[in-house]
Amino acid sequence: MQTMDRLTDPAPNTTALSFHDIRMVYSDGTEAIRSVTLDIAPGELVSIVGPSGCGKSTLLKLASGLEQPTSGSLSVDRDSVGYVFQDATLLPWRTVRRNVELLLELHGVAKEERRQIGQAQIDLVGLTGFEEYYPKRLSGGMKMRVSLARALTRSPNVFLFDEPFGALDEINRERLQDELLNIFLGERFAGLFITHSILEAVFLSTRVLVMSARPGRIAAEFDVPFPFPRQHDVRYTPEFAELTGRVSAALRACS
Amino acid sequence: MTDLATTHPDAAELRTMSDAIANPALADDAPLVVLRQPSWVRRQLSIGGPPLVMLCVLLGVYWFFHNRLSHNRKFLMPWFGDIWSKGLTDSKTIRELWGGLQVTGRLAFQGLAISIVLGGLIGIAMFRFRWLERANYPFLVALQAVPVLAIVPLIQVAFGYGYTPKTIVCVIISFFPIPTTLLLGLRSVDQGMVNLFRLQGASWFTTLRKLALPNAMPTLFAGLRISSGLSVIGAIVGELFVRGGTDGLGSLLVEYRIDVHYEKMYAALIWCSLLSIVVYIFFTALGNRLFRSWHESGDLSR
Repeated sequence: MQTMDRLTDPAPNTTALSFHDIRMVYSDGTEAIRSVTLDIAPGELVSIVGPSGCGKSTLLKLASGLEQPTSGSLSVDRDSVGYVFQDATLLPWRTVRRNVELLLELHGVAKEERRQIGQAQIDLVGLTGFEEYYPKRLSGGMKMRVSLARALTRSPNVFLFDEPFGALDEINRERLQDELLNIFLGERFAGLFITHSILEAVFLSTRVLVMSARPGRIAAEFDVPFPFPRQHDVRYTPEFAELTGRVSAALRACS
Repeated sequence: MTDLATTHPDAAELRTMSDAIANPALADDAPLVVLRQPSWVRRQLSIGGPPLVMLCVLLGVYWFFHNRLSHNRKFLMPWFGDIWSKGLTDSKTIRELWGGLQVTGRLAFQGLAISIVLGGLIGIAMFRFRWLERANYPFLVALQAVPVLAIVPLIQVAFGYGYTPKTIVCVIISFFPIPTTLLLGLRSVDQGMVNLFRLQGASWFTTLRKLALPNAMPTLFAGLRISSGLSVIGAIVGELFVRGGTDGLGSLLVEYRIDVHYEKMYAALIWCSLLSIVVYIFFTALGNRLFRSWHESGDLSR
């Protein structure tokens, strides 16, 4: 079973993205992932932290269909996957507006509608007024916002994030995390978020998974109890510190 | 200081400056003087100066060799005044050269157009099929390396005398940079962007049109700039060695030499260089205009 029937009404207990006993061996013989089983329901934002090269990004490539698993089964509605890459991957010859409209354009959405949806997402990520700028003139944080807006135009049910804020400075990073949570509250997609930062993982997610060094397996799982909407200062509470401490210990134990 | 201030042409400004230093109460005017932009003349000099100096050096070298020639061989390097009066400003020569310029210009333009279309198609085909790249590349390099003179007789045997063989020589000379720079630009697309297009199920053609080709444009333009210059050279070389047809600058060069009109020949050489320079500047300016908004190369002034 590769794809889920998108016409079925999503009941509360359905999963938007599910890996079952996934194993991934690259053609050069590297075993990137060994037996990963994971279900993500709509309205869940799951983060994965793990040492470098543990196959975190491979999970996203599998989920999006960029790679095929060696064995195991995977179910996701491929037409409704949003992917935010490590780099903003904006086309430098297109303005902010035309970058945001790119995915709709590739799917043949009419110009008027494209303009309307695009503008709404540009407003949502706070880039109103920058529509005619070229990426060259934007800061790293703004580029990431464009990238986010572009993914949002397709209103995906499943959102894959590959360390999107890794290259940003601390202030921008926190601001974008806050905004991502706002968007998450509004859209209620199912999210899979890859990151190097334990703080980021705990702050954003409903669940944090710790992945072991290669070949990657899920070594530990933590539920994050903080209610939504989360205020930015939840990061500085003792409960938050205690939980990040436990995730950190689990990460040390398996890498 | 006072002497200088009264005799120097910029006396007024100097006085303001020294006053401002001596008397802080006048400091309101001071920044105007101190932060003054370099004058227009000075700016023009800093742009035009170095090439002018180089020109003088080159003229000096010419003059040096002119002097060393024995008297009866002086005609090989005529004196500047003669080049000026008999070549550059002589109205009959100007008419001939102007006619030649148009013929050569058209030939170069045609050769370049063929190179662009043919080179573009080959570049894209090599991008699509790697085996085609492997198959073509050695021959492209060979085409670049073959001395054109050596195959001119072959071209003449096949295509006779006149316009066609000249065009072919021009294409052979100007062709190489187009497919190679285009292929380089097409291949240098960021893998993340390719993935972005793949995830949307974009076809190969859509990816080419909306991603790879725009991405290749600045690189292709660098090649185009070289090619455009080469097409002028190609046109002139074609005219030098393929006889027949209307007189272009290349044919005039040969005729003037045969007729021992060296003043005119140097004038023709200067016209040839000017044509090359104009074409080069045109493509540089066009590239800057097209890519300034998004590509780093567009920021370079020339």
